[in-house]
Amino acid sequence: MKVNFLSTVLFFFISCFSTLDAACQLNNSPNGSIKISFINTLNSVPIILDAVNYTNCWNENFTISALKYYISNVQFKTSNKKSIKEKNSYHLIDEENIVSKSFLCTVLPGNYLTLSFLIGVDSIKNVSGAQTDALDPLNSMFWTWNSGYIMFKLEGNSPNSTIVNNKIEYHIGGFAGTNNVLRQVELNLENNKALININSITEIVVQADVGKLWNAVHELKISQTPVCSTPGAPAAGIADNYSKAFTVIKIIN
Amino acid sequence: MKIKIIISLVVIVMLATAFIYKAPPHKLTYLKLFIPKGWPKPATDIFVTNPLTEEGFVLGKKLFYDGRLSKDGNFPCSSCHQQFAAFSTYGHDYSHGFNNSLTKRNAPGLFNLAWQKAMHWDGGINNIEVQPLTPITAPNEMAETLFNILIKLKVDTAYVRLFKAAFKDGVINSQHMLKALAQFTGSIQSYNSKYDKVKRGEDSFTVSEKMGYKTFLDKCNSCHTEPLFTDNSFRNNGLTLNFKLPDSGRMTITGNPTDLYKFKVPSLRNCSVTLPYMHDGRMFSLGKVIDHYRKGIDTTQATLDTLLKKGLFISDQERIDLLSFLYALKDSEMLRDPRFIQANDILLPVNYDH
Ligand code: HEC
Ligand code: HEC
Repeated sequence: MKVNFLSTVLFFFISCFSTLDAACQLNNSPNGSIKISFINTLNSVPIILDAVNYTNCWNENFTISALKYYISNVQFKTSNKKSIKEKNSYHLIDEENIVSKSFLCTVLPGNYLTLSFLIGVDSIKNVSGAQTDALDPLNSMFWTWNSGYIMFKLEGNSPNSTIVNNKIEYHIGGFAGTNNVLRQVELNLENNKALININSITEIVVQADVGKLWNAVHELKISQTPVCSTPGAPAAGIADNYSKAFTVIKIIN
Repeated sequence: MKIKIIISLVVIVMLATAFIYKAPPHKLTYLKLFIPKGWPKPATDIFVTNPLTEEGFVLGKKLFYDGRLSKDGNFPCSSCHQQFAAFSTYGHDYSHGFNNSLTKRNAPGLFNLAWQKAMHWDGGINNIEVQPLTPITAPNEMAETLFNILIKLKVDTAYVRLFKAAFKDGVINSQHMLKALAQFTGSIQSYNSKYDKVKRGEDSFTVSEKMGYKTFLDKCNSCHTEPLFTDNSFRNNGLTLNFKLPDSGRMTITGNPTDLYKFKVPSLRNCSVTLPYMHDGRMFSLGKVIDHYRKGIDTTQATLDTLLKKGLFISDQERIDLLSFLYALKDSEMLRDPRFIQANDILLPVNYDH
């Protein structure tokens, strides 16, 4: 009886351990978390959709009714030269949806030196058929006439716009060839020191300044280009501009 | 002692229940895309990331024939893609869409899509799974939104059951809907025309068909390459410009001026039932098409295909024989295949409930 009892209990524990395997792994390699938050601004002041009249560097007035963009392939470099990639890393930052403006990455503890990401959705996912979550075509960020994601979208109105209802509409996409609009951004974290500890959350606050859209690299005037909604050289130029919009403004350890 | 026995029993019962109670496995009936002998490999891997199953196919078929995918219920995919016309719109240059509108191009037949790298006349669609987004959201086609469609599907118990059968997590979302549609449209295959049977040694050409085949290989095959009867390229075959409805073709997608007025070389399988012809449906008979190649080519266009710079010399006899051959490309088995016919809902769900 004694043997029976012991072996049963032993069996019980062994089977428990094997089913708890997944949970155990978490305990063996403790993780910290990095929360990345995006603040969309104009000249460093957070944007308010529709309600506020803005002026760009060309003295053109405009309002913004929608601002959305993809951040994908998030990656960190640590002080010991390790690259850490977020798995299934696709995020749609939508100014209208507060929840969408930050996300959490589970990472190993350490000293993090850089944060990098792609503005847009990598080319593979543009040709791989129906996707879900951030990449769901329900999000109105997928072109139906020319398959591919709209990587960056800004819509609004301006008296300087020459088209119907004074609309401005920048739907920036295109993932192939010379007019590829995918832009890699690498941000330095050293100044503010991102130290990730076990079981705590470090927040990296990234500012995306729409002011850069108009002249960071190329001139973009509403009066000349109120709409850009096809892949091509103008779209690639606009992508150059907004690729300069991202800076780390704060790290909260 | 007693207590030990009780503990042992409790442990054994716990273990036993843990082992016995497993969620019932999700059963899928996997199907394989048939690759006819002598055909090239499919140009796409549509069923690699979207494994083809009977359950997915059945769901896709129901969606394809369901008017609720359109705004007013009148325009299912099947309203423009009719099986007896090889899933083109029979006899219409432009198809009817929502609110008395018309499409801007001729609806092509749907078959052998796994062999087609890009869809639509301009090749703008890079994956069969995302193709339905175009007709669904186009105001002159189905004029609906994905959001509304998903609401309609979620309250329908038949769909709840079919999505559960077709996908592990059973979620009704756009991804699953699109994958199911692709399983249906991607399964429509044509490989049983008289031409195929002759090639397999199961039938033989008439004298006229045989002569026509020769002319075809000589004059047409470099673009309409057998056995698919297309080489999947984009070319300008010298149609005069359509000033009422200008269409830049491939250049719309690439932005490249050398692609101006180039369109996808369409497959000629089933061409006797896919009339009218060309991207704008301007020709209503195959005879007119051949006459176009004989003497209708607009040689003033810079992007005209070099093979057609001088037109094609086809004698009257060759024209007759060529027509015989084109008729031999009709695949009656596909046009009547009961697998593709709208299912009778009443007979359906019962065994899809696991
Ligand atoms: C109002 C008519 C209409 C409806 C409804 C419609 N289509 Fe089409 N379909 C067309 C036209 C026209 C084209 C050609 C479009 C182009 O080339 O720009 C087309 C093209 C296609 C193609 C590409 C074929 C090829 O060889 O390039 C596929 C696949 C397709 N449709 C599937 C569907 C599915 C699935 C649905 C339902 C979700 C659907 N269609 C609903 C008219 C329609
Ligand atoms: C240089 C390439 C080329 C050659 C050679 C050629 N075609 Fe075509 N064909 C095309 C292209 C491109 C189209 C589509 C044009 C469009 O719609 O704008 C087409 C369209 C057609 C269509 C219309 C099919 C449909 O579903 O709308 C038929 C039928 C046809 N060709 C038959 C022939 C025959 C028969 C020959 C030989 C006598 C031939 N073609 C030679 C390129 C070619």
